[in-house]
Amino acid sequence: MAITGRVPLLLLLGVAAVVLRPEQGTVWLWVLAVLLLVAVDLALAPSPATVVVERPPVGTVRLGHPASTRLLVGNQGRRRVRGVLRDSWQPSAGPEGDRHRLALAPGARAVLQTTLLPRRRGDLRALGVTVRLRGPLGLAARQRTRPVPGTLRSLPPFESRKHLPSRLARLRELDGRAAVRVRGQGTEFDSLREYVRGDDVRSIDWRASARNRTVVVRTWQPERDRRVVLVLDTSRTSAGRVGDVPRLDSAMDAALLLAALAARAGDRVDFVAGDRRVRSRVRAARSRGVAGTLQEAMADLEPVIVEADWAALAGAVTGLGRQRALVVLLTPLEPSAVEEGLLPVLPALTAHHRVVVASVRDPALEQLAAAHGTLDEVYDAAAAHRSLGRRLHTAGMLRALGVDVVDADAEQLPPALADHYLALKARGLL
Amino acid sequence: MTATLTPEAPAKRGGRLRRHRSTLVVGIGLAVAVLVVLLAGGAGVRSAALDPDNPDPAGAQAVARVLEDQGVDVTVVRSADALDDTEVGADTTVLVTSTDQLGQSTLDRLVDHTRGARLVLTEPGRGPTRALGLRADPQAVTFDDAVAAGCADPSYSGLAVAVDDGVEYDVDGGCFRGGSGALLAEPRPDLWLLGAGEALSNDQVLRADNAAVALRLLGGRDRLVWYVPSLDDLVADDGVSLQTLLPSWLRPALWLAAVAVLALMVWRARRLGPLAVEPLPVVVRAIETTRSRGRLYRKAGDRAHAAAILRGAARARAADRLRLGSRPDPDTLVRDLARHTGRSVDEIAALVGPTAPAPATDHDLITLAERLAELDEEVRRP
Repeated sequence: MAITGRVPLLLLLGVAAVVLRPEQGTVWLWVLAVLLLVAVDLALAPSPATVVVERPPVGTVRLGHPASTRLLVGNQGRRRVRGVLRDSWQPSAGPEGDRHRLALAPGARAVLQTTLLPRRRGDLRALGVTVRLRGPLGLAARQRTRPVPGTLRSLPPFESRKHLPSRLARLRELDGRAAVRVRGQGTEFDSLREYVRGDDVRSIDWRASARNRTVVVRTWQPERDRRVVLVLDTSRTSAGRVGDVPRLDSAMDAALLLAALAARAGDRVDFVAGDRRVRSRVRAARSRGVAGTLQEAMADLEPVIVEADWAALAGAVTGLGRQRALVVLLTPLEPSAVEEGLLPVLPALTAHHRVVVASVRDPALEQLAAAHGTLDEVYDAAAAHRSLGRRLHTAGMLRALGVDVVDADAEQLPPALADHYLALKARGLL
Repeated sequence: MTATLTPEAPAKRGGRLRRHRSTLVVGIGLAVAVLVVLLAGGAGVRSAALDPDNPDPAGAQAVARVLEDQGVDVTVVRSADALDDTEVGADTTVLVTSTDQLGQSTLDRLVDHTRGARLVLTEPGRGPTRALGLRADPQAVTFDDAVAAGCADPSYSGLAVAVDDGVEYDVDGGCFRGGSGALLAEPRPDLWLLGAGEALSNDQVLRADNAAVALRLLGGRDRLVWYVPSLDDLVADDGVSLQTLLPSWLRPALWLAAVAVLALMVWRARRLGPLAVEPLPVVVRAIETTRSRGRLYRKAGDRAHAAAILRGAARARAADRLRLGSRPDPDTLVRDLARHTGRSVDEIAALVGPTAPAPATDHDLITLAERLAELDEEVRRP
């Protein structure tokens, strides 16, 4: 139950009665009378159970973009209901205007809309709907909360989408659609066309020119239909925050950019995410909607405080197909985790695939290493140098195994990884 | 994701009753308590101090009862009119408690009516004594021990009064004298000022000889008129306390306001549904482990280790800068560094050499870090 603001007002009205009959007894009589009224009103208030609430599916939205959820409310009782309804969501769903006035005649229905502005990635859940119905006197109300499930899926924001146009332009250069046509390793024969000034004379096809009255050149395009496997590490090391963003989110950003780029380049994109076990898997996405598919798959991934089981993840990669692929491991370059978990399984991967490790570097580490003002800072700097040294050592070990290492700040990692992919593609190393 | 809720089955009704049982019990208890107070209020029990009908520790019912048992005819009057209606003669003692309720007019009526009788005022303050024209300044005092009578009056010889707080009257003579006057003064014949009013109270009457003093003071005559004055009898001109200036409805109105505030709190405190909770993510700063390693070095005071790391890092950076490969010979590196920076080989060796001595003090360590940073700057410069 609940009382309304009219109860204190009504109690204060009793001052008039007290002035007329200035005795202590008047006070208690008045309070008793008000209590009685409240009790009567409460007894006459309609039950919140007569209000039926349904929620259609809420859907999906990119992080930071507004969404809305609707509630279908119906009065199944025989009396008119008046009151308040609150549609409660977890705070990071950013519900706005989640309190609604209810005034429904018997049998009437209404649609209540709540705006949501998600501030966090993942599945954001509705917590319950509270219905408070006033009695006829407006003094007391009956209230009940019940679960009306609803989930808003908030997708990774894909901030690095701004880098996509420039990388696509570079891809087109490779593709031979632009003026410069490159012949080299890793390109395959596309078509023949007339020679124009500026073309590489080495690409003149003499046999075809002999059959024609003009000089004919061969054009080339980069190899297509390669596989790219993105492996997203969601283990404890990905929980660490660089700035205020978990490494996992930065890695997702990089993965999305690479996936979008690879799909445009005609490659197939597979995606695996996991730690001790595989948490999410997407197979052979190659359409233009790959970024959306991956965002959907990544939406409810959260860092888990366990060590990554790289044997299981490598098994998942192998399970996706035996065809040679570019395997991108999105995992922080944490020396101990990499040396104990990743290194033992790497030879098996490098034997079949081209492996790239993409890691989010923490700029704070270099700042820490550069400070030397106080004793604390000097000791911190020593610790930071040691960490940097071990990272270098680990990166060296990885390179010795034939693995490419892309280590960049959170902002720089997506374009750096995309550039590395383009470089590999240009050299035909996929 | 769509959920349909049907009205709850009646089977749950019993459960709801059980869940709110404690609230119900408390509510009914409160209502009963309010009723009892309403019905039982004002049933002859008085709450004023030294009231003859007050059985509380501060009341004086015990003395009144004992005097009655001793054959004294005790009449309680509670207003000036009732006092006027009571016959008062030479065989009467008039005891006045709650003397702070006396005003000029009631005091005049009292003195007029009790002419010839023995008049005992308990703890009159400065107001009543001035109004009576007495030169007996009251002085509030506290006592640790009993006060012996020590006066000429034979009725109190050998007795002692024990009270915690009392009022002494600055008069000549009088009994139970203390530092600033007498606890029992007779500034005028047959007018007694009793400064030890507590001696009559229910909880103190049995201390020392309080009971004997009370009986001898009040039981000396056949009749005792116990006058409890009331502010209601005062006329407009009397000097009165603040309370009488305020309207009589103020106190109940304040009570009502308090209840209204309570209702306001209940109104505002009731939430519309439970608190919305957020499953909180793990927050780990990636730099955390490095910082704690730094703190560990600091705690251990491992200057040698810290210096070795700093020098090693400086060598690695310099080697990178001078393009000497990833693992250059230290001597070659020192020589090249000296040539590049224009410093002496010994100085460079003492600064970054692998065999350079560890800093002896914390200050040396800081200096070393600074000089390594300077060296790094110099190497960077083309």
